[in-house]
Amino acid sequence: MNFGIVVFPGSNCDRDCYYVIKEILNQPVRFIWHQETDLNGIDCVILPGGFSYGDYLRAGAIARFSPVMSEVKEFADRGGLIVGICNGFQILTEAGLLPGALGRNKGLKFICRYVSLRVERNDTPFTTEYRRGDIIRMPIAHNEGNYYIDNPDKIRNQVVLRYYGENPNGAIDDIAGIVNERGNVFGLMPHPERCSEKILGSEDGLKIFKSIVRAL
Amino acid sequence: MKKVKLIYEGKAKRVYSTEEDDKFIIEFKDSATAFDGLKKAEIQGKGEANCAISSKIFELLTIKGVRNHYIERLNEREMLVRSVKIFPIEVIIRNRVAGSMAKRLGLEEGRKLEKPILEFCYKSDELHDPMINEDHISALGLASPEELITIKDTSLKTNQILIEFFKLCHLDLVDMKFEFGKDSSGEIYLADEISPDTCRLWELGTTESWDKDRFRRDLGGVEEAYNEVKKRVLETPVESKTRILIRLKQGILDAQGSVILNALKSLGFNEVLEVRVGKLLEIKLDRKVDEAGRIERMCKELLANPVMEDYEWEWIEE
Repeated sequence: MNFGIVVFPGSNCDRDCYYVIKEILNQPVRFIWHQETDLNGIDCVILPGGFSYGDYLRAGAIARFSPVMSEVKEFADRGGLIVGICNGFQILTEAGLLPGALGRNKGLKFICRYVSLRVERNDTPFTTEYRRGDIIRMPIAHNEGNYYIDNPDKIRNQVVLRYYGENPNGAIDDIAGIVNERGNVFGLMPHPERCSEKILGSEDGLKIFKSIVRAL
Repeated sequence: MKKVKLIYEGKAKRVYSTEEDDKFIIEFKDSATAFDGLKKAEIQGKGEANCAISSKIFELLTIKGVRNHYIERLNEREMLVRSVKIFPIEVIIRNRVAGSMAKRLGLEEGRKLEKPILEFCYKSDELHDPMINEDHISALGLASPEELITIKDTSLKTNQILIEFFKLCHLDLVDMKFEFGKDSSGEIYLADEISPDTCRLWELGTTESWDKDRFRRDLGGVEEAYNEVKKRVLETPVESKTRILIRLKQGILDAQGSVILNALKSLGFNEVLEVRVGKLLEIKLDRKVDEAGRIERMCKELLANPVMEDYEWEWIEE
């Protein structure tokens, strides 16, 4: 199970992801610089959080032009597993790999705190370690997490995580994480890599990485 | 757009009606005549060169706010234009002494004029396009006084724009001929073509011709001249600006707009009902008018996120 973590200029959660995969799960992992075009041997690509390209124009709008992204698209077409976390989720929507868009938080503030989430699907390669209906806690840290799609009914079956109890950013239908129709591309606003060790207050996020390992 | 019927054939062009009443297709021919048809020849590539040159120049004039009949270039030899009724007047504008003016007044070719001179000729092949003045035009009803003002103003403005543009092509605009027409609603358009057939162009700083004089005066290198002008004109960038406005779609909560609305109300501006905040982009480009579709693509593919944003754009005329 080889993980590849794409590093864009402005990524800042790349090392956290690396640490979880390498040190906690003992899985092989390498960084993929955004100008690389070789995804050979990679089983799962992670687009980490951060502020790729300074969030210029719109969050995630410029990263999709990085050379690595055309490879990432092909990787998705081949059925490879892709996880976009926070800014990674924004990049996936901008690149057209996931439907919808992430707009500015309803309250116009950057929000950085734990939220409660409900696991809506545990039949994706990213969530088999959970039970459907599990209420979990993960931190969010974003300014543009207000998920929008003109017709949320169309993706009802693709919703994997919903904000539970309180919707922090105005996301339509409380959506916090979705997969594509095929189920191999996952985008989520919460940061599982920040809650994968007890010492950090929660391990609820680790199950996402464990699910991926189990899937392959 | 298909050609329907040949409605006019001139020395260098054919004009066809189309399926739409308000549009004509102009086809540029390779044939050239001079001295009222006494001298004739086929100049290889002239039609294509003139079509390309005219298209680019009309595009430039559109950017600069000169209303003209050009709509788009259809292919190497044809352009789509607005159908207009041509005034029976040729407008000649001169920046230097040359051609018939030199002959008529016994002046040396090349002398720079203190200010541009406008001349009018009555369009008539049999009469050899005799020169007329503004009184002839109004007394004979060739154009109304208001129309003549528009024609004169447009000619002078176009002359200034083209002097600058040709300078960038390292060419000196010595003189040129315009024709004007009006559409069914009476709007006046600069029409015909603008090419080495209708302009005297000299290599900047010399009296070396890059125009039809090469043919009139048997100077040789006629084909090369048309191609050289075409090359220079096409290579010279035409800068224009477009303003793009991007806003959240109606129906999506514009949180910033709501906060601003409340702030305005707290200052007593109770008449404010709604505030929408957007992004304004000004983009400078080297463009051709027929590439308007490319701005749409820029908006759709990058500048706006069509899932949540609407956009609108306009050319900024100078």
